[in-house]
Amino acid sequence: MTFALQALAVAAKDLRIEVRGRHALGVVLPFACTQLIAFGLSFGPDRSLVAQTAPALLWLAIFFASVLTFRGAYEAEGEDGALEGLLLAPVDKGAVFIGKAGAVIAQLLALEVAIVVLTGALFGVVMTGDLPRLVATLMLGTVGLASVGSLFGVLTEAARAREAVFPLLVLPLTTPVLIASIRATALVQAGHPADAASWLGLLAAFDSVFLLAGVTLFGHLLED
Amino acid sequence: MAIRHTDAAVDLRAISRAFGAAPAVSRITFRVERGETVFVRGPNGAGKSTLLRIIATAISPTAGTGQVLGFDLLAGREEIRRRTELVSHRTRLYEDLSALENLRFAAVIHGVDPRRALKALGEVGLAHVASERVRGFSQGMRQRLAVARATLRAPELFLLDEPYAGLDGQAKELVDLLVLGAQRDDRTVLVVTHDATRTHLATRIVVMRAGRLYSPAPVVDAEAAQP
Repeated sequence: MTFALQALAVAAKDLRIEVRGRHALGVVLPFACTQLIAFGLSFGPDRSLVAQTAPALLWLAIFFASVLTFRGAYEAEGEDGALEGLLLAPVDKGAVFIGKAGAVIAQLLALEVAIVVLTGALFGVVMTGDLPRLVATLMLGTVGLASVGSLFGVLTEAARAREAVFPLLVLPLTTPVLIASIRATALVQAGHPADAASWLGLLAAFDSVFLLAGVTLFGHLLED
Repeated sequence: MAIRHTDAAVDLRAISRAFGAAPAVSRITFRVERGETVFVRGPNGAGKSTLLRIIATAISPTAGTGQVLGFDLLAGREEIRRRTELVSHRTRLYEDLSALENLRFAAVIHGVDPRRALKALGEVGLAHVASERVRGFSQGMRQRLAVARATLRAPELFLLDEPYAGLDGQAKELVDLLVLGAQRDDRTVLVVTHDATRTHLATRIVVMRAGRLYSPAPVVDAEAAQP
C-alpha cells in the first residue's frame, strides 16, 4: 500500500509539474509534428508509399519525442537539488521509479493520440486495423520506452554522464522496442493481427524485464 | 534491519572523501554524542558541507568507516535516512509546485500525515502563500519552507548546512527555534555555518580547514581560529 501511495504521489507530482510547465505542449508536440511533416514530404506525392511507411513514421515520431519527455521528467529534479531529496527520503526507490515511469507513460500516451490524429490528417492514413491490438501495441511500446527512459534518465542529473546517457544507453536499449512496435503496428494495420502476436509477446517480455530492472536498480543509480 | 553499533549520534573514523584527485575531507575522526548541538565552522572550501553530506548519506566516503545513530554509513544508510533530516541552502523544492503541494509531497514520501503540511506552513509564517508556486518565492521564503518541511517529522538528528544563509533576522529566529526545539527534545543537531552570531546555541564548536577537523575546541579558541 505504501509502495503504491508513494508511486502515485511521485506520478501526480510529475504530471502536475508537466501540466504547469507545458513542456509536452510547447516542446515535444511541435517537435513530433515537425518530424512527421519532414518524413511525409520526403516521400513526395506517392500516397501508397506513405501508407506503407506510416507505422514507421508514427513510431519514429514517438521515439524521438520520447527522448525529450525523458529529459523533461528529470529537469525539475535538478532545479534545486530535489533529486537529492528523493535520495535521502526514506521512500522505496522502486516506487519513485514506478511513479516517474507512470508519469512518462501518461504523457507519451497523450502525445501518441495527437500523433495518430496528425498522421491521419497529414497523410490520409487512418489506423483502421484491429483496434484492441493496435491499442495493445501502443501501450506495450510506450511502457518499454518509458521504463528504459525513466531508469537511465536519472543519470542525466549526474554531471559526468549527462551527455552520454541517451546516445550510448537509452537509444540502443530502446531500439528493440522501436522495431517490435513498428512491426506489430504494420501487421495489425495490414490486416494480419494474428501475426503481430509474437512481436507483442516480445514487447511484453521487454517491458517486464525493464520494469523489474527499474524497480531493482533505480536506487543504485540514484546513489553517489 | 541494520544493527546499531554505538550509542553516539555520529561516530566517524578516518573518513576521507575526494572529488576526482582533489581531497575534500581528509582522515576525519569525529564523534558527536546524542543530544549535543555541534557547530562546524571554517572557511569556504574547508570541507564542511562534504562532511555533513557524508553524515546524511548523500555521498559516500572514499575511505574510512563510520556510524550515524548507531548504523553503518554504507550498510545502514536507509536506517540513517529514516532518522535524519538535512536542511541545506539547496532547498530541494519543486519550483512549479505550490508551497503546500511541496510539503504534502514531502509528507507522503516521508510517511507523515499530509494534513500536517498546512500547520507546518503556518508555523513558518507562510500560510498566506500556501497555494502560490515556489518559483516566485525569495530565497528567504524558500528557506522557511525548507524549515517547515524539516518540522513535518521528528528526526533524531538534524543536519543544517548554512541554514542562516540569505535569511533576514526574523527567518533566522525560525532556524533558532528549530535548533532550540531539537535541544529541548534531546535531539542531536549538527550545524555548518559562517554565521558567528548564532554560535551561542552550540554546546560545542569545531573548526574545519583544508579538509581537516580541529576538534574539540573551546568556543573562544574556535572563534579565534576563524580567518
